[in-house]
Amino acid sequence: MLPSGLWRSLGADTDQLTAILNMRLMLDNRRPMGFGRRQAQKKDIKNGTLINTFMFGIMGVLYGIPVYLISDRVLSMVIYFTLIFLMITLTLITDFSNALFDNRDKYTLFPRPINDRTLVLAKLLHVFIYLLRIVLPMALPAWIAIGYLDGWASAVLFPLPVLLLVFMSLFAVNSVYLIILRLVKPEKFKDVISYFQVIASIVFFATVYLHPRKMFEMDPSNMFDASHFQWVKYIPTYWLAACWSWIGVPLTFGGGIFMSLLAIVAPLLCVIILVKYLAPEFSRKISGIDSAEVSHEITVIKNGKAAKPGKLYLKLANIFNRSDAAKAGFILAWLQTSRSRTFRMRVYPALAFVPIYFIYLLTQNGSSISEAYATLPGSSKFILLLYMSAYVLINALNYLIMSEQYKAAWVFYSSPVETPGNIMIGAFKALCVKLFLPFFTAISIFTLWIWGPKVIPDIFLSLVNVLLLATCIARISFRQLPFSSMEQIKQSGGKVIRSIITMLIPFVLGVGHYLSVHIWWLKLTFIFLSGALLWLIWDSYAGTNWGNIRKEDA
Amino acid sequence: MTPIITIRGLSKNYGDKTVLNNIDLEVMPGQIIGYIGPNGAGKSTTVKILSGIIQDYEGEITVMGKNIKEHVLEVKSKVGYIPELAELYDLLTPREYLTFIGKLYKLSDEVIEDRSLKMLTSFGLYNNMDQRMDSFSKGMRQKVLITSGLLHNPTIVFMDEPLSGLDANAVILVKELLQALKQEGKTIFYCSHMMDVVEKVSDRIILIDKGSIIADGTMEELRQNNSDNLEQIFSRLTSNGDFVQKADDLAAAMNDRTSPGQYKSINE
Repeated sequence: MLPSGLWRSLGADTDQLTAILNMRLMLDNRRPMGFGRRQAQKKDIKNGTLINTFMFGIMGVLYGIPVYLISDRVLSMVIYFTLIFLMITLTLITDFSNALFDNRDKYTLFPRPINDRTLVLAKLLHVFIYLLRIVLPMALPAWIAIGYLDGWASAVLFPLPVLLLVFMSLFAVNSVYLIILRLVKPEKFKDVISYFQVIASIVFFATVYLHPRKMFEMDPSNMFDASHFQWVKYIPTYWLAACWSWIGVPLTFGGGIFMSLLAIVAPLLCVIILVKYLAPEFSRKISGIDSAEVSHEITVIKNGKAAKPGKLYLKLANIFNRSDAAKAGFILAWLQTSRSRTFRMRVYPALAFVPIYFIYLLTQNGSSISEAYATLPGSSKFILLLYMSAYVLINALNYLIMSEQYKAAWVFYSSPVETPGNIMIGAFKALCVKLFLPFFTAISIFTLWIWGPKVIPDIFLSLVNVLLLATCIARISFRQLPFSSMEQIKQSGGKVIRSIITMLIPFVLGVGHYLSVHIWWLKLTFIFLSGALLWLIWDSYAGTNWGNIRKEDA
Repeated sequence: MTPIITIRGLSKNYGDKTVLNNIDLEVMPGQIIGYIGPNGAGKSTTVKILSGIIQDYEGEITVMGKNIKEHVLEVKSKVGYIPELAELYDLLTPREYLTFIGKLYKLSDEVIEDRSLKMLTSFGLYNNMDQRMDSFSKGMRQKVLITSGLLHNPTIVFMDEPLSGLDANAVILVKELLQALKQEGKTIFYCSHMMDVVEKVSDRIILIDKGSIIADGTMEELRQNNSDNLEQIFSRLTSNGDFVQKADDLAAAMNDRTSPGQYKSINE
């Protein structure tokens, strides 16, 4: 299906190119991409592409909102293309890095007689197809809407700027990678990408929750004078939207036919720069990442002596734990949670989700952030905020038991550990000390600042309740050794009952607290009752024996 | 002398597949036992059972006079298990990993630090002690695994292909280490495919195939008045020995030829 002549003229071996692409696409199909990954279960992986296509289609419905609601076609397309552009570029940067740095290439492809251009083209085409798989289902809802609203001419035009958008995104992603590679050492590259992933998921979350309302407000009829927004002309997505001038749509921000020519010329230029300059340099840099191991070793040997180790984890492990098994769990969790990219990517964004979601809830009645902020002191919304912090701890607990290196948990089974619950409780404490308590403290300071010292008992009650909730959930759902379980393992039976109980607990706790908000003695009673319950469940969790452990694999 | 390990009627099945079939064995203290066999013979399963990792088996096993099913923690604290290229939490440094392992064996911070430093230095990893293991070579990881298995000074050491990934110098070092451990009275249960090493270091060799012991004795006893080396004995007992034919078949397949006798094994 490939235009073989074109690839040959670019210096690629078409047989090898086809073989590599087929292999990569087959692997993609077996590995859920992007947003599907978190929810995907083992059985779904077989249909990875189908599921993702459906999910991207659903997302496309949301991203298409400006197309349905904003009558000015050029303005709506600028917003729509910008959203799609940001979305696919961020997805590519965050998600595609996994495929890009697949170490197996080192063994499967590098030793074979394949020339550089074939490798580079295989990589680029793979990215291109990968992007199309995202963009096509995502663009479909807007395409249908445009056909329905504007007629056939607009619908026929639509695919061209979308295709050009993909080229622009490819260029942007390669540029971002190259900039990162210029700024950081190759061995740090993957770490930087993982932080990028954290930021990207926060941006997505914020966009989904805080952005749509702003978009609806952007109706030009009641909102702005286009002459104040002349800078829009310099945004490439405006050039793409300018293509609508070909079918007689007036350009909201001016610029005439020249703008629409830029839409064609700029992506073509991008592709030429990409193939000729960026891609080969990118390949060289990537191979630098592969050999990072060697350069790292040399650096250490040159230094002549080992770096001073940080012993904070050891001191804290000794302070917070009595048994050695708990200390071992604490040490492992403390160190792994800082270094595991997967853990960082999954857990750290939750720290931002809580304030974003809180703002979303505050502004849901249509008020602006400043209006909502002004009404805070008179409300009891601090309860909401304090309890939302539970999300951080529960989400972290969920990922505490998972690891890509879950097989390394064999050491727990070969060591003389009498009560594995001790290891689990040590790891739980590490999460609390390192992640949850600092976060809760920050939220408490904000709460005290807005509502004053009268809410101190509420802070204590919510802290005890959140810990109680997390311990209950850990006791019910995460009774496993830290980092001992494969991700997305299918849950065993009783999941529904567990889920119901898990949902009931916060409801009961939250209602209890809300009812006692103005009755101080009831609050104190609740603190003691919840504290006692926490102690009991904590003890039960710490007493988990080998028979209780849900062993996935060892 | 009382055996340090006694196995009576040990059997283990995975579904319909029998991995170990009624094994009886006694091991005397201070011996190096070479435990050899083809792939899938049941070596690793035996070692995992003796280390207390697998507790679901039939038969009776005592280690240091203790029934392993009843005293699994005591047994685990006295034995060291060194698996072949096993996964480790490689985002940690060797120092951190050994601290974690040491805590599982209830060692004090000082003992862990002191032993880790000395052992890793002997393995030539002093400069890598505070470097994350995700950039380590196979050999470096294996050295950390060996250290982690010996950190608590076990009385019995179970080694499953401990030389995997090690370079020639490290192999010599481990061979010397085995002798040094033996001098200290430790019992070593050594599984390997490296016949020359097993032949050199073992006091007694046990050959297992399809879950049963098919040969047991010193090297001299196994030779049975022949001048065979261990590799030849192994081959004689565990295969039909038609390696020349198989090699010819492989070479012929590469050249799109059919060698005389090819597909014989398939047809059989």
